[in-house]
Amino acid sequence: MSGSARSLAKGSAPPGPVPEGLIRVYSMRFCPYAQRTLLVLTAKGIRHEIININLKSKPEWFFKKNPFGLVPVLENSQGQLIYESAITCEYLDDVYPGKKLLPDDPYEKARQKMVFELFSKVPSLVTSLLRKQNEEDCSGQKEELRKEISKLEEVLTNKKTTFFGGNSLSMIDYLIWPWFERMEILELNDCVDHTPKLQLWMAAMRKDPAVSALLMEPKALRGFLNLYLQNSPE
Amino acid sequence: MEDATRSFGKGSLPPGPVPDGLIRVYSMRFCPYAHRTRLVLRAKGIRHEVVNINLRNKPEWYYTKHPFGQIPVLENSKCQLIYESVIACEYLDDAYPGRKLYPYDPYERARQKMLLELFYKVPHLTKECLVALRCGRECADLKLALRQEFCNLEEERQESVSAHQRSFLSPLAQETQIKLKAYLRNSTGPEILGYQNTIFFGGDCISMIDYLFWPWFERLDVYGIADCLNHTPALRLWTAAMKQDPTVCALLIDKNIFLGFLNLYFQNNPDAFDYGLAC
Repeated sequence: MSGSARSLAKGSAPPGPVPEGLIRVYSMRFCPYAQRTLLVLTAKGIRHEIININLKSKPEWFFKKNPFGLVPVLENSQGQLIYESAITCEYLDDVYPGKKLLPDDPYEKARQKMVFELFSKVPSLVTSLLRKQNEEDCSGQKEELRKEISKLEEVLTNKKTTFFGGNSLSMIDYLIWPWFERMEILELNDCVDHTPKLQLWMAAMRKDPAVSALLMEPKALRGFLNLYLQNSPE
Repeated sequence: MEDATRSFGKGSLPPGPVPDGLIRVYSMRFCPYAHRTRLVLRAKGIRHEVVNINLRNKPEWYYTKHPFGQIPVLENSKCQLIYESVIACEYLDDAYPGRKLYPYDPYERARQKMLLELFYKVPHLTKECLVALRCGRECADLKLALRQEFCNLEEERQESVSAHQRSFLSPLAQETQIKLKAYLRNSTGPEILGYQNTIFFGGDCISMIDYLFWPWFERLDVYGIADCLNHTPALRLWTAAMKQDPTVCALLIDKNIFLGFLNLYFQNNPDAFDYGLAC
C-alpha cells in the first residue's frame, strides 16, 4: 500500500499532476491529523494515492501545496488543493458519494461541530505529554487531559449512545479517534480510567473496518517518536 | 434595530420558550462574535428575536443555555441550542431556505473555511490593541502583528484577483469597481493595478466569509486602530464594498454609542451594555 512509501524530502522532485479518477493526499505515516483524512478516505472507499512528506526536511515544492507546509493536504485532478484536516474531511464527505459521515440534519451537524470544539484542547495536551514521556513533571498535564476527556464522557452519558453522533459511527468519531489510539499505545491509559463510556467507545471503534485498517504498529509508532524527539529526519 | 433591548442580568427571570416560527439569539449589542450571527440572520431574512445578556452580571439561568455563559447562542422552538459563532452561522445557512451564504460547490466551500483559518489571530489582536490603548499602554508590537495578519489577507485578495480572470463584468460590478478605484486613487497608498473583479472574499457577490470577517473591520475605527489598514489597499477596497451592503449597513453600530459603551465598559460599569438605549 502506498501508505508505506518512503517520504519525500528536501531536494526531491515534485510529483506530477494527479490522474483523473484519483485524489491525492500528502500525508505522514504517524501524523494524527493526516490520519483523520485517511480514515475518511478509507471509510468512504475513495480511490486515492498517498505521498508521504518528510516533515523535518520538507521539500521546497510542498509549500506550493500548502503555504503553512503542514499535512494533510488533498490535491485533485483539477489541481485544487484543500488543507486543514477537518476541512479536508468535510470536503471528501461533500464531494464523494456513498455513506455520508456528516448528518444531513442541520442541528445534528451543528452538534457534531460543538463536540469537536469540546475536544479541541486534547491534541496539544497529548502532544506535550508525548514529549515529556521520560520526565517526571507530567501530573499537572495529565490532570488537565483527564478534565478535557471528562467533558467527552459527559456527552456520551447525556446522549446515551455508543458513538458521538448516535448509534452508528460518524464523522466526529473519526475526527477524534487518532489521539485515543495514541493514548493507548503510549500508555496514557490512566487518563481514560475514570471514563467507562469512552472505554466502550474505544473498543467499538477498534471494530470499525476503516479504523482497524489504519491501526498503527505500536513498535513503529514508538520507534518513530524516539527518532522524532531526537530531531532525526529519518 | 431589532436588538435595541435592555440586557438581562443577574436576578432576571428567564425568557420563556421560543415561539414557533421564530429563532432566538442570545447576544450583546457590541459583541463582534454575536454580530456575525446577527448579520447572517438579517442577510437571510430569518425571523428572529434578540435577547441581550449583561456579560458583566450574567443571569444564573444563562448557564443553562451555554456552559460558560458565552454568546452568541441560538435557541429554536424545539429548545435546541447552538453555539460558537461560526457553527451558529453555518447552522442558519443550512436550516433556513432562501439565499445560501456558503457556496454550493464543495471546493469553494472548503476555500472559505481555509480563509477563516487565515483570520484566526485577528480577533485576539484587535482586542489586545483596544485594551492596551484604553489602559494607556503602548501597543506598537501588537499593531505590527495585526498589520502582518492583514498583509496575509491582502496577499490572498491579490492572488485571488489574478486567479479569477474574467473578461466580462456585470454592469453593477463594473460601476462599483469604477467608484472604488476612484475612491482609492484619492486616498493614500498604492493604486491597484490590473484589478479586476472578486471584490469580496468569495467572488463578486458578498458571501459567508465576508460576514464572518466583517465585525472586526467595522470596529477598527472605533478601537482607534484604523491605520492598520494603511498598507493594504485591496482590504480597504473590500471594506468600502462591505459598507455598501444592505445587511452590513442595517446593522452598522453608531460610533458615538459605541464609544459611550467602551467608556463605561472600561470603567467596569455594568450599565455599559445598555448604553444608548432609549429610556
